[in-house]
Amino acid sequence: MSDWSKVARPIPVPNEWTKPFWDSAKQGVLSLQRCQACRRFQHPPYPTCVNCMAIDLAFEPVSGKGAIYTYTIMYHAGDKRFAAAVPYASIIVELDDAPGALMAANLLDAPYTEAKVGRRVEVTFERLNDDITLPQFRLEGFGVRQSRGAMSEESA
Amino acid sequence: MWAHRCEVAVSGVGFSKVTRSAEIPLAAHALEAVKAAVEDSGLSMSDVDGLATYPELPATGHAVIDGVTIVSVNCMMAMLKLPNLSWHIQVETVNIGGAFQQAVNALLAGVCKYAVVWRAMHNPKGTYQNLPGTYAQGPAQFTAPYGFGGPGQGMAVAYTRWLETHGQSREKMATLAVTQRRHCHMNPHAYFHKQPLTREDYLSSRMVAYPFCLYDCDIPVQGAVAVVLTTAERARDLKPRPAYLAGYGQRLKFEVTGRIGSLSSYMDGGRSSSSLTWERSGFAPKDVDVAQIYDGFSASVIYGLESYGFCKEGEALDFIQNGRIELDGELPLNTFGGSLSTGRIHGLWHIIEGALQASGRAGERQVKDVNVSFVGASAPIVTGTTFIFVREPY
Repeated sequence: MSDWSKVARPIPVPNEWTKPFWDSAKQGVLSLQRCQACRRFQHPPYPTCVNCMAIDLAFEPVSGKGAIYTYTIMYHAGDKRFAAAVPYASIIVELDDAPGALMAANLLDAPYTEAKVGRRVEVTFERLNDDITLPQFRLEGFGVRQSRGAMSEESA
Repeated sequence: MWAHRCEVAVSGVGFSKVTRSAEIPLAAHALEAVKAAVEDSGLSMSDVDGLATYPELPATGHAVIDGVTIVSVNCMMAMLKLPNLSWHIQVETVNIGGAFQQAVNALLAGVCKYAVVWRAMHNPKGTYQNLPGTYAQGPAQFTAPYGFGGPGQGMAVAYTRWLETHGQSREKMATLAVTQRRHCHMNPHAYFHKQPLTREDYLSSRMVAYPFCLYDCDIPVQGAVAVVLTTAERARDLKPRPAYLAGYGQRLKFEVTGRIGSLSSYMDGGRSSSSLTWERSGFAPKDVDVAQIYDGFSASVIYGLESYGFCKEGEALDFIQNGRIELDGELPLNTFGGSLSTGRIHGLWHIIEGALQASGRAGERQVKDVNVSFVGASAPIVTGTTFIFVREPY
């Protein structure tokens, strides 16, 4: 399993379009930008709806369950800060509630070999500092298995 | 069909020395390539009256220093001091293919007579990608924290999607890498000119970003290539046999900046660009005698073959097997070795090879009886352009 403890992740800098996403993640809720006209979710956030061109957009919570749309296993630490974690799985998740809105993440709490297209995943949260909490993903049902085995906070 | 087909032609071509990383300023490479192209045409600098390039520095996190890490139009103007310059442009989208197309348009508009297009690529000593620091801004705030650094990973996730949805295996890509490397043994300008690559080398090479191993990635180099474009009428009076431009296209779709993992962005880009080129030229994939398809990462060739219509979606890795892409095969492919063999010079070298094959000037690696020569140029198909060159105007 990849050791993330020594990885200093780049810290996201929210801007006016993305701040609600990060504010929500800090509360442990995954919210994506949704067009109030055609009701489609989109990610990354954008000034207009990429489907219908409406500008009435709001962030709404999503269930946080979805499937691995695709992934890569990083062996080469192009970003040196990730060297301690190689090989690691960087995944792209498509949420059940938000078809077409693709989110990047890492597959946490599982060997990187568990990353496969179509595999079910659920959101978890990784706190980076007082301001930023990163939405992450792990295999669906991991949280249930953990609490059966006994407590343990989400591991990062 | 396009009213202006075969009215513009590629004449001379030029190459600089290609080195692994920067030893001399990039401007010297660009100058060497441009001078060679002008000389190949039998022209003198006073004939050149048009300049076009796409100067982007692909290595991230390095300072942009004109003449050292990029070669802008201003830099070239300052060096050449062309007495008769009448037109120039530097493009920002669709890569070097876009600069080439603008030069074509300028020649058709009659605002210049002999346009030179160059692409100069810098490889800094040391780390190629100096990735964002402690903070991730803009679109990177959703990717960099998860270790999505260089462009390789962005391409890799699309390739995984392709492989797993089509039930394909990455080992089949060995055929492409090995065949292209063999082709480059006949291209003295290529970085890997004398270095062999076997199927075993490919299969046992280290992973970079799965599914990409080392030999799926073009090697960053320092070098430049250049080409002289002119009207068909003028080209016929010059030294080399012309390669006539029968049609071109550019990608017409773009997904939101920062969207990652989407395979459709490559496929839609390729389809939109090539459909223009087929329609303008009047040719179809079955008419093509030889093809150059951009291969900064090997998977680009797969998306290209499928989205341009050479084979069905999901079949490209089977399509390239059994000798089909050899020089005497049904569709000789990347006959100059591709970027995987020449080093990372972007798509102008693909365009040059397409023109050389059409004019019968490809030397040892010349494919027999070429009339229709197809090029899918430029970095990922999402920024792509397509071209057809022909031997005989029609």
